[in-house]
Amino acid sequence: MLSRIAASLLFLLLTITTALAGVDDIKAIQAKGVLVVGVKADYRPWGFIDPSGAFVGMEIDMANEIAKRLGVRLEMVPVTTANRIEFLRQGRIDLILATMSDTPARRQAATVIDPPYYAGGTNILARKSMNFHRWQDLRGRRVCGLQGAYYNRPVAENWGAIIVAFPGVPEAYIDLLAGNCDAFVQDSSLIASTLVSDSAKWADFEMPMETFGEQAWVMAVSAANRDGTFATFLSRLSVEWHRTGHLIELEKNWGIPPSPFLKTMHEKS
Amino acid sequence: MNALRVSGRFGVGMMGLLLASVLFGEVQAADGSASLLATMWKWAPLIGQGFLLNILISVVAMTLGTVAGLGLGLGQMSPIWPLRHAAQIVTQFFRNAPWLVLLFYCILLLPYEMRLGGLVVAMPAWIKATVGLALPVMGNVSEIVRGGVQALPPAQWDSAEALAFNRRQTLWMVILPQAIKPMLPPWMNLYAVLIMATPLVSVVGVEEAMTLTRFALSAENRSELLLPMYLALLIAFFAYCYPIARWTARLERRFAVKL
Repeated sequence: MLSRIAASLLFLLLTITTALAGVDDIKAIQAKGVLVVGVKADYRPWGFIDPSGAFVGMEIDMANEIAKRLGVRLEMVPVTTANRIEFLRQGRIDLILATMSDTPARRQAATVIDPPYYAGGTNILARKSMNFHRWQDLRGRRVCGLQGAYYNRPVAENWGAIIVAFPGVPEAYIDLLAGNCDAFVQDSSLIASTLVSDSAKWADFEMPMETFGEQAWVMAVSAANRDGTFATFLSRLSVEWHRTGHLIELEKNWGIPPSPFLKTMHEKS
Repeated sequence: MNALRVSGRFGVGMMGLLLASVLFGEVQAADGSASLLATMWKWAPLIGQGFLLNILISVVAMTLGTVAGLGLGLGQMSPIWPLRHAAQIVTQFFRNAPWLVLLFYCILLLPYEMRLGGLVVAMPAWIKATVGLALPVMGNVSEIVRGGVQALPPAQWDSAEALAFNRRQTLWMVILPQAIKPMLPPWMNLYAVLIMATPLVSVVGVEEAMTLTRFALSAENRSELLLPMYLALLIAFFAYCYPIARWTARLERRFAVKL
């Protein structure tokens, strides 16, 4: 109840600030007739492509929904962890919907949309035979990671792992399967979905650590449009998606193991 | 000729390697998932389109780089010293800069759209990447032009002067027509290097063959696909570059006798 009041207060506040600032970037998008969204194309099942070259995945479904509500055509640009904020800054994309976790640095560089639509923590994928139990076990070990991922640094600095960063998930999996890396540090939700997606191949693997630093996944629009109508609209939409259970439904459709975050958000609203 | 025969054998060897890696993968994937060849075939049209983009990028970058490089190369031989020095500095700069760094500069510095009066011209990433690749091509063509012109016997200049040709006429009517032949093989070599450098643009988010192969691998999420798919990509590049290499070698032989 309290959170509902807080949420409505937040909206009131947002509406007021929007009215005051009066940046109508939704109008601009509708005038263009197209919404350009930066999505992942190498992050199954959130964002990937099918053999026809079309983007598919949970985040792509969300992008489609946003474009439909605005009544514009959807155009998607594949982005990477390293270039998505730059694309937003350049104006090449209107919106980031690309497995982006919420960090203070990103809040400075872009307008992050609250509430988050997803959350995942950090964990590792490793062979059961490695007998990893605590993060301290990674000291001096070669650990595969993704270039630009925010959790590489804590894993290296706090626990002394040697991070070998790859541009994409498949390259890292190859190294892990070949035994060149002792573990693959990744978002816990991706690891969970990998373990269930192909149980035969990953039968000898596990997610052994205690998940740390649960990070929210957020949409983001340009830093210049902090008080714009688009940010407000997205924020309301995110609340609606949590309330109606739409996100839980999408998660289920894409075979992602249920995340505690979505459940909590749904129950709270 | 020997080298060609060896590289021909190399091509056959790569095909063999592909077959071996596919067979090895098939054994691994014996648990009822779709066969590797079928999976690769499914993605072939999309990655093939990506490869066409590689070719398009290489052709446009080569054209831009050649036109600019010709001007720069002639500038390097200008009798006006500030022009000559400027052209030499620009040439050396772009010839000795890492291609990937130039690519990053072009992607980050060029705007994604340009306003010419009321007209908004979109600058998609692949065009920016093409400009980025055209710059080192320009530097290299400039040196090829200088080398080709300076390789001609100086007597050609003297004879033209004796016939009352001015400098421009000498250059366009006497020197360049003769210099084109020795310039052709290194120019074609440069093109082969360029097409092989086009997968670099995948790091700046252009959906060419390399990027699409990576996307396909992510979508399939089957690590046993990685080696055969990259190998197939290697073979596609080899099949495109090998005839160019043969042709270059033939031209080199033909022109070597004449000079």
